[in-house]
Amino acid sequence: MDSTALLRLRGIVKKFGSFTALNGIDLEIREGEFFTIVGPSGSGKSTLIRLLVGMDDLTEGTIWLRGERIDQTPANLRPTCMVFQSLALFPHMNVGQNIEFPLKLRKVAPQRRRERVNELLDLLRLPRSYYDKRIAQCSGGERQRVALARALAFDPEILFFDEPLSALDYRLRKTLEKELKDLHARTGKTFVYITHSLEEAMVMSDRIAIMREGRFEQIAVADEIYNRPVSRFVAEFMGEVNLFEIRADAGGTLSGKALEIAPDARLDALAPGTEALLMVRPEYLRFDGPGERFEFALSGTLHGEYALGSRIQYEIETETGMVTVEKLREDRVRLKEGQPVRVGFDAADTHVIAEPA
Amino acid sequence: MPTSRSTRIVLYVYGILVIAFLYLPLVSVSFASVSKARYLSFPIRRYSTKWYGEALKSSTVSELVSTSLTIAVLVTVISVVIAFFGALAFARYDWRHRTLFQKFILLPIFFPQTVLGLALLMWFNSLGIIPSWKTAVVAHLVWIAPIATLIVAIRAYSFDPALEEAARDMGAGTLSILREITLPLLAPGLVSAGLFAFLLSWGNFPLSLFTTGADSTLPEWLYAKMVSGYSPLVPTLGVMSVVGSFLLIFTALALAWLVRANREARAAQQ
Repeated sequence: MDSTALLRLRGIVKKFGSFTALNGIDLEIREGEFFTIVGPSGSGKSTLIRLLVGMDDLTEGTIWLRGERIDQTPANLRPTCMVFQSLALFPHMNVGQNIEFPLKLRKVAPQRRRERVNELLDLLRLPRSYYDKRIAQCSGGERQRVALARALAFDPEILFFDEPLSALDYRLRKTLEKELKDLHARTGKTFVYITHSLEEAMVMSDRIAIMREGRFEQIAVADEIYNRPVSRFVAEFMGEVNLFEIRADAGGTLSGKALEIAPDARLDALAPGTEALLMVRPEYLRFDGPGERFEFALSGTLHGEYALGSRIQYEIETETGMVTVEKLREDRVRLKEGQPVRVGFDAADTHVIAEPA
Repeated sequence: MPTSRSTRIVLYVYGILVIAFLYLPLVSVSFASVSKARYLSFPIRRYSTKWYGEALKSSTVSELVSTSLTIAVLVTVISVVIAFFGALAFARYDWRHRTLFQKFILLPIFFPQTVLGLALLMWFNSLGIIPSWKTAVVAHLVWIAPIATLIVAIRAYSFDPALEEAARDMGAGTLSILREITLPLLAPGLVSAGLFAFLLSWGNFPLSLFTTGADSTLPEWLYAKMVSGYSPLVPTLGVMSVVGSFLLIFTALALAWLVRANREARAAQQ
């Protein structure tokens, strides 16, 4: 057990009638960490965060904060704070009153409250004159910052985020993701963030937990999740991926449907006599050309070519299904639809997922 | 979509007809109120404000107004309190028999008021309560409190439950949430519910008729004087009552406008 854990969850179960939303969650979150929980809708991530802030009661399990058990503590007595998906800014108060709300509850003197609001407006890069601005007059990005400032005014041990960026347009979201990461670095607070977008999680997080049907599928740093997913679910959740069935016989010889495998190709992660999934990200696939040599190769016909901004994506129809290849725009290969193509990769470009197909 | 000329003309004509149908009778009553004649007759031969002077001096009138006003004020205050909690149960909280509650609370609005009045009168009698203006307050409440609840519930539906959760999350207890979040957010609904309650009680005839006993409200008196022993004060009091109602509504509108203007002025200062 990690002794430096700030927040520790043990055996968390949450049932709604006969439906089990959370099914045995164990987790440790370290002080100062940016921890993101990612999962599709219905995976239980919102349920989990509501339990952590005290909005709902858990069915089983325990929650400790700094070694103190808090799972029976009501929400208003927990030293945690959440930024809601809807932001939950009070429409009848102006920006300043919203931000100082937690301070007012603690009966901080008006003078001191005003100073703290100004500090927070500076920190969030909002003009101090915004104190008197009405929430209805703020833009989407400004509201986001006001909600953050209010949560920081509370000065929580852990700041929770329930998909606060999901309602914003792409460009604003990208800007705010970076700002949030920057804010995390500047405040040194512990952030726990939930989202359904792995891309968002990758930009900001120290560690990521992938959630599926009320359980954690994998908890690791972003690189590890991207390069070494533990399951097909995680690999596919992480964006475009090619998965091939692969088998090693008792002598270690490899075989796979539609794959041409060089005799000297070796996969150390695959034990003799077992089956697994071989994962290759689209950017690791290469087109055949003069002098090219592959440890693993596939043949098929070009189904389509798509421009994705800085990258070009090719879809190739093969005997084992559609295979995706991605190239940088400058490395674009001129191909005609329906043209026969051969692509390949090496063992070093792959990751073996020990999950039979 | 731009409206064509002919559509606009039809809309204007329609609008004018509606206003005429609604307000012409009121206008004729106000003419009657300034007639010098002792009996209702058209055309009016001589005009005079004499009956207004009489009305203001009359002790019957001040008694009627004070009974009606007492009932209306009490009904307003009590219905707003009931509506506040009722609306939270109606719209904000999820509980087992909520849909049943919603149906039952709305039912009295659709009862024929005469039947409701009669039923309540029989009920008061069987309980041994002597009908007076106090029983009329109860009768008005049976009909008006559900309407007020509905008005506040519409407001309660429109606010995000996350607001109360956010306040709790930041350390607010139940009372602080009520004072800082729920009440201010429901305030516009409470004001309109209060206004409705007052006006509906002030103008109510069928419920008062059955339940006031020996006391009499303004609408009851107007009716009684029309049926027998006509008084020239009837149109006068009718007009005064309507003007009073309008004044109340306009005051409320003016207040709402002032609040908004003040808010915009403060925002513009930045």
